[in-house]
Amino acid sequence: MKIELLMEELIKYNAVIKNGNELYIETPEEKVVETTSLLLSLYKLNFVGEFCFEDKGFTINIIFTNRKRGYYVIIRYKSDTIISLQSIICQSNIFEREIMDLYGLEIQGGKDTRHLVKHETWEKNVFPLRKEFVYGSKVKEKNEIDEYKFKGLSGEGAFQIPVGPVHAGIIEPGHFRFSVIGEEIENLEIRLMYKHRGIEKTMENIDANKLSLLFERVSGESSAAYAEGYALLIEKLNNYEVSKEIKALRTLFLELERAYNFLEDIAGICTDVGFSYPSKKFSYFSESIHQLCERITGSRFLRNSIIPMGNNIQFTKEKAVDIVDTIKAIEDRFNKIMDITLSTVSFLDRVEHTGIVRNRKVIKLCATGVTARASGVSYDVRNSFSYELYKDSRKNVSIESIGGVFERYKLKGDDINNAFQWIKKVAELILNGVPKNRAAIEIKEGLEALVSVETVKGELIVYGLTGKENKFNRIYLKTPSFSNWNALTYSVLNEIVPDFPLCNKSFNFSYSENDR
Amino acid sequence: MVMRFIYDRAMNGIETVKDPLYFNTYSYGRLKVKDSCSLCKKCIKECPTGAINIENSKAFIDDKICIYCGRCIDFCTEDAIENTHDYKMADLNFAGNKLKEKIYRSFNRSLVLRSVDTGSCNACMQELNALNNTYYAISKFGIEFAASPRHADGLVVTGPVTINMKEALIKTYNAMAEPKIVIAAGSCAHNGGLFKDSYGVISNLNNIIPVDLTIPGCPPSPQGLIYGLLMLMDRI
Repeated sequence: MKIELLMEELIKYNAVIKNGNELYIETPEEKVVETTSLLLSLYKLNFVGEFCFEDKGFTINIIFTNRKRGYYVIIRYKSDTIISLQSIICQSNIFEREIMDLYGLEIQGGKDTRHLVKHETWEKNVFPLRKEFVYGSKVKEKNEIDEYKFKGLSGEGAFQIPVGPVHAGIIEPGHFRFSVIGEEIENLEIRLMYKHRGIEKTMENIDANKLSLLFERVSGESSAAYAEGYALLIEKLNNYEVSKEIKALRTLFLELERAYNFLEDIAGICTDVGFSYPSKKFSYFSESIHQLCERITGSRFLRNSIIPMGNNIQFTKEKAVDIVDTIKAIEDRFNKIMDITLSTVSFLDRVEHTGIVRNRKVIKLCATGVTARASGVSYDVRNSFSYELYKDSRKNVSIESIGGVFERYKLKGDDINNAFQWIKKVAELILNGVPKNRAAIEIKEGLEALVSVETVKGELIVYGLTGKENKFNRIYLKTPSFSNWNALTYSVLNEIVPDFPLCNKSFNFSYSENDR
Repeated sequence: MVMRFIYDRAMNGIETVKDPLYFNTYSYGRLKVKDSCSLCKKCIKECPTGAINIENSKAFIDDKICIYCGRCIDFCTEDAIENTHDYKMADLNFAGNKLKEKIYRSFNRSLVLRSVDTGSCNACMQELNALNNTYYAISKFGIEFAASPRHADGLVVTGPVTINMKEALIKTYNAMAEPKIVIAAGSCAHNGGLFKDSYGVISNLNNIIPVDLTIPGCPPSPQGLIYGLLMLMDRI
C-alpha cells in the first residue's frame, strides 16, 4: 500500500507525512498497543525499533517500515512510562530496556524488565540520555545495581558454562552463558553492552561539521556505511542531492567495504573448521583490498572519505585504473579458491546443517542482512530504500532457504562477487576523476528525518532531530547487530559447544555498534 | 584438493612482505607543522580531539591524541601542515621500571601477547587481526597472541576504558604473571580519542594500569603496530 493511501486510511489518527516517505502518527498512551497491532496485522508493516527523545517531556517512538514500498511509519506518544509491546512483538524488550536504563522510564506491563545497559557497577539514579545529565560528566562507580539474573538450569547432567567478557582471541567483549545438558546446548544467553560508551549523547554535543568522524567510529568495520548514513541524513534534512560522480564514488566505497568484510568473515569460517589454506588466502585478499583502500583514500578503513553534501577524496583516473586492476586480479583467484572449498567434503561436513535459524524465527526476531537472507527473507535495504547508484539498477536479492552456516557462507561469497561486479562497473563510470569538494554543513532547528543504509551486518536506521547551534537534539541509531544478536542464541540450540565459534563467526556481529 | 592448493601456491608465489617496515607513501603518519604557520589557530578550532597546542609560539600536534582525520590540513590557509606518511610513531616508556626493560630486551626473540578490547570501534581489533595474515605474518618475529592471560607476557589494550569493562580489564591484568607489560594501541586507548567526553568512558588507561608502550593512530596501521612491537623487543 502506498504511503498516501495508508495516511487516508489512518485519517482518524493524527497522521502527517514528512520528507516524502515518513508517516508520523501521534496516539494517546492508551491506544498504543491497539494501533501497533493494527499496523502489524492489517497493514503488514515490519517492526524495526523503539526509541525515546526528550523535548519538553519524553516522547517514545516506535518505528515500522514497509519493505515493499520503502517508507517508514512512526507511532509516537508522550508519556513517563513505556507501554510494553512485549506481548505482541517479542523483540521489543531490548528496546524498552534500553530506554528504561538511559531515560529512567518504567516499563508498564512487560515481562522482562532487567537492566540492559546498566551493569552492576553503575549508580542507580543516573539517566545519562536525559538533558539534565550534563555532557562531559561521567557515570560514577557505585555498585548500586542488582545482580543480573540469567536463566537457571538444574538436574542430572545439566551445567552452565560462563564465557567472557574477555574472550580467547582477538575479539570484542561480551558475556555468553551456555546452559548445557549432556553435550547439547539447551539455552544460550548473551549479555552485551560492555563497550557502552554513550555515543548517542556525544553525537548531540558535537558540531554537525565534525559529526561524520564520530559516525565512522561507531563501528570500525562499517565505517563507510555509517558515514553514508550520516551523509544521507544531512542531505535529506537539507533536501540536497549530490552529483552523479559523487554518488558513484560512494557506491564504490560501500562495495569495497562489503568486499573486505565478507572476505574476512569467510576466512573466519574456514579458520574455525581448521581449513587453513583458504582461510589464509581469503584474509590475504581482504588485506589486499585494505591496501587498495589505503592507496585511494589514505585510510585502510575508508575513513574521512564520505562526507555530507560533498566528497573528501581527490579521485583520479590512476586510482580508478588501480581499482579495476586489483579487483580483477583478486576476483579470478578468489573464485578458484571458493570452488575448492565448496567441493571439499570435510569442509562441507562441518558447515552444512550447522547453526540453523529457521525462517519463522528470523521474522520474529526482526533480523536483517545476511542473517535474514540466509533464512529466506528477501529484504535488502539497497533495493527497498535504495540510495546512491543502487536506485538506478535494482538487482534481485539473492536468498537461501535453510539458514545455516553453509548458507551464510555461500551468501557472503555471492555478495563478494556482486561487490566485485559493482566496483568494476562503478569505477568505469568515474574514469574522469572526481574533484574534492567540501561544503560547510548548516542545519535548521526542529527538523527530523530517518534514513536507512545496508551495512555489512544488515539494516542501519539513523534518526536525527535537529537542535540549536548547528547540533542535533537527538540522534538514534538502530544498528543492525542490535536486533540480529538474538539470532545467534537460536542458531546454537541443540548444537555442541565446540560448534559455537563456527556459528558465531558465520554471523560475525559487531559488539561495538550494538553497545554504542 | 591438496594438488589444487599446491598449484595455486606455485602460480602465485609467496605473499609475505620481506620487510614490513617499508616506507608507505599512502599511509597516514606524523603531522608536521612547517615554519610558514602564521598561528591563526584555525586548526585548533577544527581539531575534533584537541590534539593541537601552541608551545613557545609554535603549533605542535600531539601524535598520540591525533586521529589523523586531516581536517587541519584541509582548513589550513597557509598550507603549513604536512602529512609525512611516517607511521613510526610508537612511544616506548617502560613505566619507570629499568629492571623490566632489561628483562624484556633479553627476551627479544619471543613475545606472547593477550588482547583486551575495552571499548574500541573494532577497527583496532581488525588491524591486530591483520598482523596474523600472510602479508605481515607477524609470527616470523616470534610474536604470538595467546588465548589466556596466564600465557602472556603483555597485554594489548584497544579502545577507551568503559565503566562496564573496567573490572574485566583489571582482572585480566592481575591474571598475568610478572613481569608484565601493557601496550596501548590507538588514540582511544591513550586518552579516549573522540569518546573522551562520553559518559560511559570513565578513565584513561594510564590511570588504571601502567602503560609501557603507546602506539598512536586511529586505527594504528599494521605497520605501525609492528614497528612498536619490534621496538619493544629491542629489534630495531
